[in-house]
Amino acid sequence: MRTFSMRAKLIVSALLGLAALTGCGTSTNRTTNSGQASTGERRIIIMTNGNSPFWDACRVGLQEAEKNLGLNKAGFRAILEVNDGTPQGQIDKLRQFASQSDIVALGISPCDAANLAVAELMRDLKKRGVHVVTIDSDMDRETLRDTRFAFIGTDNLAGGRELGKCAKNLRPEGGEYVTFVGRTGAQNAIDRVEGVRQGAGDKFKALDNMADETDLTRARENVRNAIRNHPKLNTLVGIWSYNAPAIADVVKEMNNRKQFTIVTFDAEPLAIRQMGEGLIDAMVVQNPYQMGYQGVRLLKALVEKDQGIVKEMFPNLGKTDGDIYDTGIKVVVPDEGSALKPEMFDKKTEFLKLSDFQRWLKKYDLTGS
Amino acid sequence: MTSAPPSVPSRASAYASLRRALLRPEWGLVLAVAAVVVLTGLLDDRHNYWYNPGDSAINVLRQTSMLGIFSLGAAIVIISGGIDLSSGSVIAFSGSICATLMVLMAPEEMKAARLLGLGTISTAIVGTLVVGLLIGSLHAWLITVVGLPPFVATLATLVGLRSLGRAIVENVTAATWGGRSTQIQIYDSRFRYLATSVWIPAVLFVVLAGLAWLLLSRTVIGRHLHALGGNEQAARLSGIQTDRLKWLAYCISAVLSSIAGILYIGDQSAAHPQTLGQGYELNAIAAAVVGGCSLRGGVGTIPGTVLGVLFLRTVIDGVAKVIKTGADVYEGLIVGSVVVVAVAFTQFRQAGGRGKRFLSGPLGIATAINLSLLAGVLAALLAPKTFLGEGMLALITGGVTLLVLIVLRWIEGRRTGNARTAPLPSDKLRSA
Repeated sequence: MRTFSMRAKLIVSALLGLAALTGCGTSTNRTTNSGQASTGERRIIIMTNGNSPFWDACRVGLQEAEKNLGLNKAGFRAILEVNDGTPQGQIDKLRQFASQSDIVALGISPCDAANLAVAELMRDLKKRGVHVVTIDSDMDRETLRDTRFAFIGTDNLAGGRELGKCAKNLRPEGGEYVTFVGRTGAQNAIDRVEGVRQGAGDKFKALDNMADETDLTRARENVRNAIRNHPKLNTLVGIWSYNAPAIADVVKEMNNRKQFTIVTFDAEPLAIRQMGEGLIDAMVVQNPYQMGYQGVRLLKALVEKDQGIVKEMFPNLGKTDGDIYDTGIKVVVPDEGSALKPEMFDKKTEFLKLSDFQRWLKKYDLTGS
Repeated sequence: MTSAPPSVPSRASAYASLRRALLRPEWGLVLAVAAVVVLTGLLDDRHNYWYNPGDSAINVLRQTSMLGIFSLGAAIVIISGGIDLSSGSVIAFSGSICATLMVLMAPEEMKAARLLGLGTISTAIVGTLVVGLLIGSLHAWLITVVGLPPFVATLATLVGLRSLGRAIVENVTAATWGGRSTQIQIYDSRFRYLATSVWIPAVLFVVLAGLAWLLLSRTVIGRHLHALGGNEQAARLSGIQTDRLKWLAYCISAVLSSIAGILYIGDQSAAHPQTLGQGYELNAIAAAVVGGCSLRGGVGTIPGTVLGVLFLRTVIDGVAKVIKTGADVYEGLIVGSVVVVAVAFTQFRQAGGRGKRFLSGPLGIATAINLSLLAGVLAALLAPKTFLGEGMLALITGGVTLLVLIVLRWIEGRRTGNARTAPLPSDKLRSA
């Protein structure tokens, strides 16, 4: 009796202690969400694919939407749920969401566009009455479009094309390039890499598409390996947000900046500084702030059945690609010495010098985008 | 002469057996699981366990079954006196091998997301289990012939197998489909049903646990495994073939991890050697240790391990229900704390009886500071917002913890001092 009752008492005591620490169900994790849903509140969640400063801007947009749209008064709480970069992380979270009754809407950036397990869980959530959209990266539009109501994010194919145009206009003679990305299976990655190929044109040859699984150390190692293994390599292309600082760091470390044209996606705070130092030639920047803001706006409208907002955001809903809300892209170039001009890009693309872009960031109280 | 009625001895022995069964330490874990469920039900402001128990139960059952399958292997290795750090990597490698075999046998069907033949699926599964046997044999050879410590041998495969799995997947996809890929998507709904059905992994876990229990508690081999773990030299000198037993233990562990690998790729719909099963080996070892296995070897039971798995998964689910969003940030911390508490207090009980001091000397002071800081940080992170603010709350919690530990240190010192000044039995004899 002594053995098990002693162990049981001690385990239960430890659990009670842990329960006391969790504060009777009102704990708050400030680093990943804007608050804790208390009794009666419904949660609107945006789940990331991984963890990077890109999502900080999305969080700001989400929090602004929560404030401006009166979510708290309406009984909602908007929360950013940060994934660990793996599909299994998203699968575990989706299963948890299914077993929690207060979640009414979800915006997800899927790690893998064709992952059936994630797709099935998204469908399951929809069946339970949870409104589901994709943000930043979509599910496979050919086969898994039904898993979500709509997509909010960048037209990644168009973004990739603009990035390819950057390379083409900076190196009219052409060359060889390597793309660096977190996961090659993510739809946004697939679209951007294809877009780069289209935009760069025939004079450019793609040597490799190197994945780092969101491991920042491996991201740098990939750049080093690419430079060592391909003597004719002259263009480095960053596809996910943290690939830009990884490329810039390695090029600075190896002291061969002049050898490469560097064009990247997104503008992490470090990448912005690196462009200022002359380490990055062009950035195609998304608008994660709007992804967060519009994502919450749409999900709230879906929960409240506000067709006015839905129609305003998706005037062509029901038609081809009418379920896509494009949050737009910017091309950002250094203040001095760039060969790139606005007329080289699509009319919808906003062209900015670095200092103008930094002013835009400041206006929204952002450090990156 | 009359003899005693035959029913009396059998009633007494039946009562003794029942009493022994009820006094088993595993009941403590049953109580702990129940306590976690009750606590979660109370602390979850949505009371999901009350209003929607089915979804949570299915989730916990699925996770328990998947973790439990390879935790059985971890427990058997620990009981035999070894350690297997490679379970997670074996899961990743086996899953990758299973998917690769399917790609090699049915490349067009895999690429086009069409159904595979049952022969393809069966061959892939059998091939994966054979690979598990080979990995277990490799471990046994490295440990018993090359002479590497189990920690080192399985550490090598922890690192190496993922790398090998990745190389295989990338090269096979490049050679078969013309495009290099870091993962293989699994579309076959029948293969996936092995994992998504929930009942199949659950039944499999129960059957494997039953077989493991029979092996360890009802066979000579099982007793020899315990003996090996308890004292390898004595076991060897007694004529037990310790090298063969190690081979068996590591093969069981690797095959069970391979089974888990097959299920995981079905569950996740993809074989991704780089990320699949990352860190899972620690969960398996934690479950075995919480369930009563001693890392010194020779001690442990399968029912304890099963309950240890259930306890861990229940705690993790409880954390997710109570903390809600961002719960995985704290999952590792809470699981680690639970493991330390569950195991350390058992040793406290054993060590305390011998008058052991835990907070003595400079290391004791450093530990008191360490634990106080930890308590303060946890209070700031997890406790509710109050008028005090997180900083003040951290200070107060840390301060109170430090005070408590100082008092404990003083009590320990007094107890040791009393023990020193108390008359020794030999003194009593002399004075008499």
